Amino acid sequence: MKLLRSLILRPLRRDPLRTALTILSVALGIAVIVAIDLAGDAATGSFRASMETLAGKTDLEILANGGIDEPWIGALDALPVRATFSPVMEGQAVVDGAGPIPFYGVDLVAAALEAPEPGGSQTVTATVSGRRQELKPARLVHSDSGDILVADIAAAQQALGRFGKLDRIDVTIGHGEDLARVEQAIRAMLPPAYLVERPGVRSDENQRMLRAFRWNLRVLGYISLVVGAFLIYNTISISVVRRRGEIGVLRALGAGRAAVLGLFLAEALLLGVAGAALGIALGRLLAGVTVRTISETVNALYTTSRPTPVELTWSEAWMGLLTGAVVALASAFAPAREAMMVAPVEAMGRGAHEHRARLRWRRGLVWAGLFAAAALAASQARPLDGYPVGGYVAALFSIGAAAFAAPALVLAANYFTRAVTRRRVAALLAGRSLTASLSRSSVVVAALATAIAMMASVGIMVGSFRETVALWLDVQLRADFYVRTSARSAAGQFPALADGAVAALQFIPGVAAVDAFHGTELHFRGERSTLGSGNLEIVRRYGRLRFIAGENRDAILRSLPGRDRAIISEPFALRNSIHAGDRLTIPIGAHTVVLTVAGIYYDYSSSQGYVILDNSTLLRYLPNQPATNAAVYLAPGADRAVVLRALRLRTAAYGVSVAPNSELRRASIEIFDRTFAITWALEAVAILVAMLGAANSLLALVLDRRRELGLLRYLGASAAQIRGMILTEAAFLGLLAAILGLALGGALSLLLVFVVNKQSFGWTIQFHPPRELLAGALALVWCVTVLAGLYPARVASRLNPIDVIHEE
Amino acid sequence: MRPPLARLELRNVSKTYADASQPVEVLHGISLTAEAGSITALVGRSGCGKTTLLNLAGAMDFPTTGEVLIDGRSTASLNDRELTALRRTRVGFVFQFFQLLPTLTVLENVELPLLLAGAAKPAETARDRLRWVELEDKAASLPHQLSGGQMQRVAIARALAHSPDILIADEPTGNLDTASGDQVLDLLRDAARNFGSTVLIATHSAEAASIAGTRVQLRDGRIQSIDRA
Ligand SMILES: Nc1ncnc2c1ncn2[C@@H]1O[C@H](COP(=O)(O)OP(=O)(O)OP(=O)(O)O)[C@@H](O)[C@H]1O
Ligand SMILES: [Mg+2]
Repeated sequence: MKLLRSLILRPLRRDPLRTALTILSVALGIAVIVAIDLAGDAATGSFRASMETLAGKTDLEILANGGIDEPWIGALDALPVRATFSPVMEGQAVVDGAGPIPFYGVDLVAAALEAPEPGGSQTVTATVSGRRQELKPARLVHSDSGDILVADIAAAQQALGRFGKLDRIDVTIGHGEDLARVEQAIRAMLPPAYLVERPGVRSDENQRMLRAFRWNLRVLGYISLVVGAFLIYNTISISVVRRRGEIGVLRALGAGRAAVLGLFLAEALLLGVAGAALGIALGRLLAGVTVRTISETVNALYTTSRPTPVELTWSEAWMGLLTGAVVALASAFAPAREAMMVAPVEAMGRGAHEHRARLRWRRGLVWAGLFAAAALAASQARPLDGYPVGGYVAALFSIGAAAFAAPALVLAANYFTRAVTRRRVAALLAGRSLTASLSRSSVVVAALATAIAMMASVGIMVGSFRETVALWLDVQLRADFYVRTSARSAAGQFPALADGAVAALQFIPGVAAVDAFHGTELHFRGERSTLGSGNLEIVRRYGRLRFIAGENRDAILRSLPGRDRAIISEPFALRNSIHAGDRLTIPIGAHTVVLTVAGIYYDYSSSQGYVILDNSTLLRYLPNQPATNAAVYLAPGADRAVVLRALRLRTAAYGVSVAPNSELRRASIEIFDRTFAITWALEAVAILVAMLGAANSLLALVLDRRRELGLLRYLGASAAQIRGMILTEAAFLGLLAAILGLALGGALSLLLVFVVNKQSFGWTIQFHPPRELLAGALALVWCVTVLAGLYPARVASRLNPIDVIHEE
Repeated sequence: MRPPLARLELRNVSKTYADASQPVEVLHGISLTAEAGSITALVGRSGCGKTTLLNLAGAMDFPTTGEVLIDGRSTASLNDRELTALRRTRVGFVFQFFQLLPTLTVLENVELPLLLAGAAKPAETARDRLRWVELEDKAASLPHQLSGGQMQRVAIARALAHSPDILIADEPTGNLDTASGDQVLDLLRDAARNFGSTVLIATHSAEAASIAGTRVQLRDGRIQSIDRA
């Protein structure tokens, strides 16, 4: 304990700035992870519909793809079981003064929330399915998780344009009744295509849908932590190198190896835990900021959710602390072990130690090769339980390979720039001192390179993705105009076009064809995707749907009308391991339909995927299914502006919006950009951590070379020259890190694009590195590294030469 | 008529270290002059203030009271740029522990002051100095491949690289055996003779003091005696 105080705590206190920088960098790493977890929880936490919480406990839910036929409610009520059956409609509504809020249709009289208000039933004016409507009877209910609009079931059906259909039937069993018996009775009566589920299944579905998304965010967070780990490694190495003499003396005085090991691990633990504690607090703050962004993404891509307040639980806090401690211990282990190996009263100074490090570069390269090979092998693995584990392992191996290659890179760079640096004294000294403290400088390079690689790889991935999506949109959005309800809808919502809207479009002069699309939620193998149908003959004639290689578009699209055949999107195929020609059993309405998969097409609009039928097929099973949107194709030579005006005029009464395809493209790209906003934020944090690391490490290099810097003053160096030398070192480190980081980033981006993304979302992304953006970002990082050198440079130029030269 | 300016003059110099606890006065009223081409030895017990005095003479440090004059100009009156210029052109230092940069070759070590000063043809000059200390063949070696005596000779070559007017050597033979020490002393003597440098040596050894024309005995920060040979 005493040892710990004198050998560890005192030096930590003597260098408060470096200690603070190390703690801060760990804190940032932990903060990102905690923030992502908390914000993820909050953003996705409120799937349990507000209605469920209001209406009390439900025991079973009845669902059907395409909706339940309303008459079944009467039949269910007649069952000889003690249970209540409550019909539910779900949607979204915009009420004056409140944004989109959940909208429910229930049996207001039967539902227990019903004690009609003193004033009797009310009328609420709201915009539902894009149309401003009077709902009666209806009321606004205020709950903890926000307002919801509740209307009577009939009013809701009318407002949503879903006559005769129910979205759900909630079953509550009476006291003493047997759940299994009720379930059995229900199943026996309903068509087998109807789903009878325990409540919570929906939340589970949501969580399952989101887990790949959240997992990927989390992994991004862990990369910041890897950067933090390098910094701890660096700090502990420095403290070992600096105290070799002291350790030797200690050992001579009888301290055991274990004691020495423990000592340095304790130092790391101290830094790790302090950083984690700070990081948890910081993460809690960050979560509050990011929860909105994440929930927007979830809404755009997956399902409707409303963020709940961010809550920091004890288990989350403990996890953070534990992560900090484990990362600290793991990264300090190697240097601490080295300390343990110091022989009593070892005379070996830093020079000899570094000399040995220099000799090890060859071995480092061999390890780098082995790690790279391991990365390659791991990248070939199949996903494990839906997670691209092989991809992540490969990423770790790649980072390891880069770290092992760093010393050789520093030496090589110095060797090849010798001729140039020889002429500039600051460059000469900078280059030499970096190779002289090779074990140190190569860790700095590796840490910076990891951060840069993270930035570059995510940049390349997102850039490629964006380009792929943009190209795909060009191909996909072939129609001239798109028509949908003017309601802002989230993923998983399918507001119906008003009756007659599609017909109104048809006979406008200049319109060649109108393809009405019918979308509805599809419950399939415990997840939710989209079941839809369109006029595939029109798609064939006017559209440009791209199918995966080797499939004949024309033949496929021709084969669908009138048959139980479907085309599915790539993510749906990958997620469920379905191939062209396979049979797909899907409950549609009251029917169980066996579909033959005719082809698989590229789609980037949903990672959950689509099953698409021809209208003729879908409407055979769901006769009254309303259209949800429509695509309008112009006749050759028609005037777009004129037709657009006519379209808008004719559909004005139906509450729909008509958008030219350029607008839709722009909107899609906007959603895309918003989705990846959080990624950029994470990148910024990684860069910040790297910058702290660079400052920290340079400061260490300065303090370690005090004597040398003092000597230079004796030999006539000006303060400016000393500053220049440190800044040159920073620039040199930054440059090497950029080179290594770009190489590593390239490798990581390949993993992200072709392994991680493919396996977790099922998208085929074409490789389109955003060159200008990357060049700009690298230049920025490089400048940031040089900036990080400013403070150490100042410290170096202000050392008192007389004091430092006589320290020995 | 005024006497010619002494190259180096200490006028009633005192130095006090303002320590955290209490100020310690380590030099009291030192007055001393040294002419061009002369060798002055500072002798005295450990802690008597030799190093402190040398730092004042080399303008690395400044007196608390009194003045250090180099060619008649007080070092305290110089600004940072002038001080750097002074070190680059007029003063050379030799240390007890050699203080070579371990990562630079012997030649580069000697070149270093010239590079820092931005002098023309640094490599030629450095080679010339190495030849002078008879270590030309070691030009490409790293310091740790040399013996102590060789390292100190390299250090002298480095200190003389820019032909300084004032050469300051703090216990240059303190870490050497007699033979190597003698070689180093010969070089210092030659420096005074060939380059006309004013040499100031702090030393414990009678041997080293014997090459000096002037021997200054210090005791507790005061001059006890000055012997001229
Ligand atoms: N920075 C400082 N702060 C306070 N006291 C100092 C400082 N530097 C030196 N001293 C004190 O000044 C006195 C003279 O030190 P100096 O280094 O000049 O002695 P020296 O004669 O060179 O000794 P040695 O022969 O051992 O090298 C010593 O007592 C020393 O403790
Ligand atoms: Mg001394």
